[in-house]
Amino acid sequence: MSDKQLGDWRKQALELETEINRVVVGQQRPVRLITTAIFSRGHVLLEGDVGVGKTTLLRAFTRGIGGGYERIEGTIDLMPNDLVYHTYLGEDGRPHVDAGPLLRCGENLAVFFFNEINRARPQVHSLLLRVMAERTLSAFNTEHHFPHMMVFADRNQVEKEETFEIPSAARDRFMMEIPIVVPSEAALMESLMFDTRFHNADKLVEEVKPDILHFDKLNHIATVLQDSVQASPKLRQYALDLWRATRTPQQFGIKVEGIDVSRMILAGASPRGMSMMLRAARVNAWLNNREAILPEDIHAVYHETVAHRLVFSPVYELRRTELARELLNNTINTIAAP
Amino acid sequence: MKKILFLLLLLASFTLMAAAIEDADPEQDARVKMTTIEPERDVGYTMGDLITRSIILKVKKPYLLQETSLPIVGYEKRRKGQVSGIELAKIVTEQTTDADSTTYTLHMTYQVFTSNVVAKPAALPPEYIKFSDNKTLFEYRIPSWSFRISPLAVFGNVKVEKDMSPFRGPLLMDVSAEQQRLKFFSIGLGLSLLCLLYIIAANDWLPGMGGAFAKAYRDLRKLPKDMQGLQQDVELLHQALNTCAGVSVFNAEGLITRHAPFAELKTELEQFFLLSRTVFFEPTAPSGLQNPEAWLRQFCLNCRHVERGLGKA
Repeated sequence: MSDKQLGDWRKQALELETEINRVVVGQQRPVRLITTAIFSRGHVLLEGDVGVGKTTLLRAFTRGIGGGYERIEGTIDLMPNDLVYHTYLGEDGRPHVDAGPLLRCGENLAVFFFNEINRARPQVHSLLLRVMAERTLSAFNTEHHFPHMMVFADRNQVEKEETFEIPSAARDRFMMEIPIVVPSEAALMESLMFDTRFHNADKLVEEVKPDILHFDKLNHIATVLQDSVQASPKLRQYALDLWRATRTPQQFGIKVEGIDVSRMILAGASPRGMSMMLRAARVNAWLNNREAILPEDIHAVYHETVAHRLVFSPVYELRRTELARELLNNTINTIAAP
Repeated sequence: MKKILFLLLLLASFTLMAAAIEDADPEQDARVKMTTIEPERDVGYTMGDLITRSIILKVKKPYLLQETSLPIVGYEKRRKGQVSGIELAKIVTEQTTDADSTTYTLHMTYQVFTSNVVAKPAALPPEYIKFSDNKTLFEYRIPSWSFRISPLAVFGNVKVEKDMSPFRGPLLMDVSAEQQRLKFFSIGLGLSLLCLLYIIAANDWLPGMGGAFAKAYRDLRKLPKDMQGLQQDVELLHQALNTCAGVSVFNAEGLITRHAPFAELKTELEQFFLLSRTVFFEPTAPSGLQNPEAWLRQFCLNCRHVERGLGKA
């Protein structure tokens, strides 16, 4: 694959970012991370309050990359079959079966958004996780394939009533957990309130130039760019140290104020997690027009690819967000490369 | 009869005066507290010498000093009809007041106007001053102070050989000004040498010389000038940057935000991280340096200067 082609794809990726940033304002970092996830072919867990623009963001991305977009709301009575099909009595008085959100677009499904995933039962998580891992589903005696599908799930970390915490094995399937927060800049906040352009999400999404990328080529692009971006021995050693530090931070002299780190971590990042981190770092290097990964590329995705994989002792689990951020920041500040 | 009446009136007036002027014993009068500051020596005074004594009188309120009772400048006291040869030349009075008392400080300077062929005793005369509260008046005695007046010349024939004393040294020229100047310039020279040493020296026996970049600079000079040596050079500099910042540093901002003085090396820091990128992570990325080893040594030296607060070389 020629450098020119990689360069062309990069231009398209950056154009996609520009388009999204035009309609979803004040979210440059989440937009960059979602772009990274799209080219790394990893699923994304979104974390944020209601009404911050998660759905608009995903619809805008879907319009930019093409392909199908499906969405389902997580509720306590949602069952796995609700994702696959739904039945109803037709006008003819006979029962009918229609494809559910997973099957509706067939192989063209590009983005599947599971809103409030932690309100759904573990049975639903289980089905979704298989689809995420294998991108296949057995239904109606047929094996359905979703080769281009990316799952975006949202969970509200504040409300805990009637929710089912996603187990660590399930969290590990997501490449990233990206926080979506309200922009803090006063001018942007004012625009979001008073600019009528932002009041109609449908019209806003239509402003995005359609099909900048082609969803059915993203797997191929991802493979090519993963092969083209190199990792030097020094970088490999650095990444290895970062991984070890998630398991035994005390051995690297990493401290968290007021916490005994040797008792804080039950399990560090998994091999799958670290490979996803490196995939994302490669994409970040490519987006920054580099042929090799630098420590900064790892830093750009380290927190989002690692934090949700850490398993804390139960006593620290309630402070997960705060402790994970401090632990990972201190890890980057402590471990040198070279 | 008239004479008797006159005598009775005179006696009565004396009785009234005696009642008005209390017989105050200076040592026992609790209304006044006296402190004297006498001259340092009480011998060796000759004709014309000035002798100053200070008397501090703390008198309880409402009593106040009667200024008319102070000794008069130029007045020379007599004893048994003979002048004493000690004359009051100057008197300065200071007054301070606090809640329950008034303090008077009298600086009295006497001049000696007498001499003798041999040493003779003399004394600053006692003075009597008065205090009153508009109703009562009392007198307070400042005691005399004894000293000795020396002759102007040795009396009689003097044999120099017999007058030599080990306690009396030769007359010396005053060289204190030159000595002071010499000390000043010596200190200046010493400080200049220390500064010079501090700037150019490579060892760490002076304070501040054990800094991260000082150590790195010493080690840089020992490493071989090949690719492996270059990697070690860059690694040494990375370690120094991390030590200086207290955290792992990955770009120029990482150091500058923690140590603002390094802002003047921002361009060099960015160049260093570019070089590090080429050496360790992306060999195809150009560093833009012809002689990276020499550049690294100069960069390290600049960092060392900034670390020592000397600014960029």
